[in-house]
Amino acid sequence: MQTAPHPDAREQRDNASFHALMRALSRPGTVQKLPEPGAVLIAAALLDRECRAYTDDAALEVPLRQTGAALVPLTEADHLFVTLGSAAAVTALGAAEVGSFLYPDGGATVIAPARIGEGAQLTLTGPGIDGRLSLQLGDLHPSLWEARRRLCRYPEGIDLFFIDGARVIGLPRSTAVQEG
Amino acid sequence: MSLDTLTRPWKAFSYGFLDASAKREMRRKILKAIAVPGCQMPYASREVPIARGWGTGGLQATLTLVNPGSVVKVIDQGADDSVNAASIRRFIARVSGAATTLDTVQATIIQSRHRVPEEKLRADQVLVLQVPNPEPLRPVEPNMSVARQMHADADYGRMWLQLYEQIVRSGRVMQGASYPSLVNGRHVMTPSPIPRWDVPKLNMAKHLTILSAGREKRLFAVPPFTRVEPLVFDDVPYRVEDHAGLTCHRSGARGVFMNEIPQEDGTSLHEVSDSQLGVKLLNGEAPGEMWYRDGVFRP
Amino acid sequence: MAYVATRGGERAIEQAERLYRAQMGEVTPARVAEIERALPSLIDRVMGEASLYAPDLAALALAQSGGDLYEALLLLRAWRSTQPRLQIAAPVTQDRMLTHRRISAAFKDIPGGQILGPTLDYSHRLLATEVVQGETFTPVPVEKAANPAPACHPSLAAWQQAQGLVAAPSLAPVDRDSIPDLTKEPLLFPAKRAHTLQSLARADTGGVLALGYSAMRGYGNAHPTVNELRLSEAEVIVRHPNGTEFSAGRVKTSQAEVVTTKGQGTLRLGFCATLGWNEVKTIAGATLDLNAPGAPKGSPVNEEFFLYHTEPVESSGFCIHFKLPHYVTFQSSLDALRDAKAQRNKTEEPA
Repeated sequence: MQTAPHPDAREQRDNASFHALMRALSRPGTVQKLPEPGAVLIAAALLDRECRAYTDDAALEVPLRQTGAALVPLTEADHLFVTLGSAAAVTALGAAEVGSFLYPDGGATVIAPARIGEGAQLTLTGPGIDGRLSLQLGDLHPSLWEARRRLCRYPEGIDLFFIDGARVIGLPRSTAVQEG
Repeated sequence: MSLDTLTRPWKAFSYGFLDASAKREMRRKILKAIAVPGCQMPYASREVPIARGWGTGGLQATLTLVNPGSVVKVIDQGADDSVNAASIRRFIARVSGAATTLDTVQATIIQSRHRVPEEKLRADQVLVLQVPNPEPLRPVEPNMSVARQMHADADYGRMWLQLYEQIVRSGRVMQGASYPSLVNGRHVMTPSPIPRWDVPKLNMAKHLTILSAGREKRLFAVPPFTRVEPLVFDDVPYRVEDHAGLTCHRSGARGVFMNEIPQEDGTSLHEVSDSQLGVKLLNGEAPGEMWYRDGVFRP
Repeated sequence: MAYVATRGGERAIEQAERLYRAQMGEVTPARVAEIERALPSLIDRVMGEASLYAPDLAALALAQSGGDLYEALLLLRAWRSTQPRLQIAAPVTQDRMLTHRRISAAFKDIPGGQILGPTLDYSHRLLATEVVQGETFTPVPVEKAANPAPACHPSLAAWQQAQGLVAAPSLAPVDRDSIPDLTKEPLLFPAKRAHTLQSLARADTGGVLALGYSAMRGYGNAHPTVNELRLSEAEVIVRHPNGTEFSAGRVKTSQAEVVTTKGQGTLRLGFCATLGWNEVKTIAGATLDLNAPGAPKGSPVNEEFFLYHTEPVESSGFCIHFKLPHYVTFQSSLDALRDAKAQRNKTEEPA
């Protein structure tokens, strides 16, 4: 305990990922940078034996398991790594865990790929946003926004992270999303 | 998968003291706390090498955030040199290698007990408040399970009744510090016990505030640009402490929160509560942008 | 003003700690070894409350804190919280534990027999003052029994279950890795059974005794009869990566099961177990557990009440935190008080 401690590469990466996620969620719609591209990075910073994860991407199964998290069906997962580009995927998301009024922290965290700065125009209002914020998000099925409104009976709901390479955008359940 | 990816060399303790699993839990809970502003999120709360009730909640949040690039300021009662603040600051530096500062403007993480600095916080700063009692409903409902149900139902009637009774009995709201405040129009929180003077500094602020109670194992957050509204009746406005007209006997400063220092002749002297601001003013240095001007809060 | 003298804080806390440690003197391996050898009951109590079975570390913590139990606990808990969990050992069952002492107050004799084991229960508590006069107190040797008691014993509750006197616990089998862990999850109510028992196991002996005693005196509805009290050693069975199960050693454990006839046609049980041998704590803890079902909120036998208030590190820490300065919150309340007084004076002035 005498010399100045130094974080190893993994600790540095997890810390940097978390700072990006924290900024993304406290400032919904703003683009934050992860230290490296990929959903695996988010999993490494957040998941362990205490977690239940779901993914629709076979390539993610091994890295998710390596965190110690149990792979479970979508409805039981607290962290979902999914693609939301199709109506079917969005419909499936409708069964995600939203927590309860007693324990809103039971609502799932959903990590999905999207094109940031392209595609549908959205306007955000709510905590973390100074007035309103407009952005474009592509590769998402348009039914997502209505499905999200149904899931987010505040304070119940899901919290979304959209990743595009190393860029990440957060959308907590407290954000109101208007299309257009 | 190889054994190498699953194992790591043994170390006496992890970087930042908390082990990786404790940090991951803190990260998950901080994210949920941000997603539902003002709502108390339960967490396991590890034992750390300072006593419970002495800032273990704030410390766990800070140790999760900290990295060697961080600049950490720790205050207690507004003072950097108060014994417990000095102890916590030394511990954080020792286990993280982070730089420390007394200057609000220089800090990236500010851990505080009972005060929000007088200089405005920026978007790149995080305020970590140590919370002894996270439950605003405790004076009316000591049982945590019942109180949680009341939050779930947004049932704050007894809270309002308590404030009303104070007005009837004493002619004013008698709540001192930790004035119950409605966050994002939904959850009533207790803003650690900061004085009423400091509560407006959390409303629609540029910075993120994390409030963490280690002993009670609850954390909550106020993201930037989030409404924090003290519970008041339409015809009885919110009143901060009547400190606007007090003068610091050391620096001559006015219009900030003061410590009262009783004198033997029955009078009192006052000094700036935010100790490093007091030092700046004494040295004739220009402080950063202030929340209050001439004793009036200006957002 | 010395409390927060400008820039004096850092030096003051350093010197205060030095003063404390100087008064305690050197902590040597010999001192630690002697504490471990001489004070097994204290070591057991500290290990139980720390939920860390390590007699040498418990002795070290006691040496380092000069015997301040709460300081010793905090040292051990803070150290424990940094340690990785390598394995979750197999659950231990009563009939496989190496039993040193096993008594029941419910029956004159029980299947397997009453075994007094090591106890001071029937001793005359006479202080051996000859030791301070310079003599040595030498214990009288134990005479071996003609027929040694078996090492393992069935549980009395199992016999009662077979007789239909006690309802069998309706427990779904849980994979050992899935047992909820209080140190990794918050305690919420209604509490998971594992959390309740873990919380009692870590609880403050004095705190559990105080609240358990209040239940025994009538603040609970069920009078406890000690169904079975056991002091034993349990094997710590862990799994080698190749799948083999093996014992990594033994830990001393105590457990108490108390029973009441106030049930609906059957006996009701209360249970408490802890690491180390600590009879007072387990009997008091089992009494709280026995009284918990249906207890009104705010009663000392309400689960939320006794589990929150017997957590030793939290309660002792919060108690001593009142030594910290609170002058900002005090100033805030004083401001409201003065203003209310001024307003009252104004309205009371004669017109």
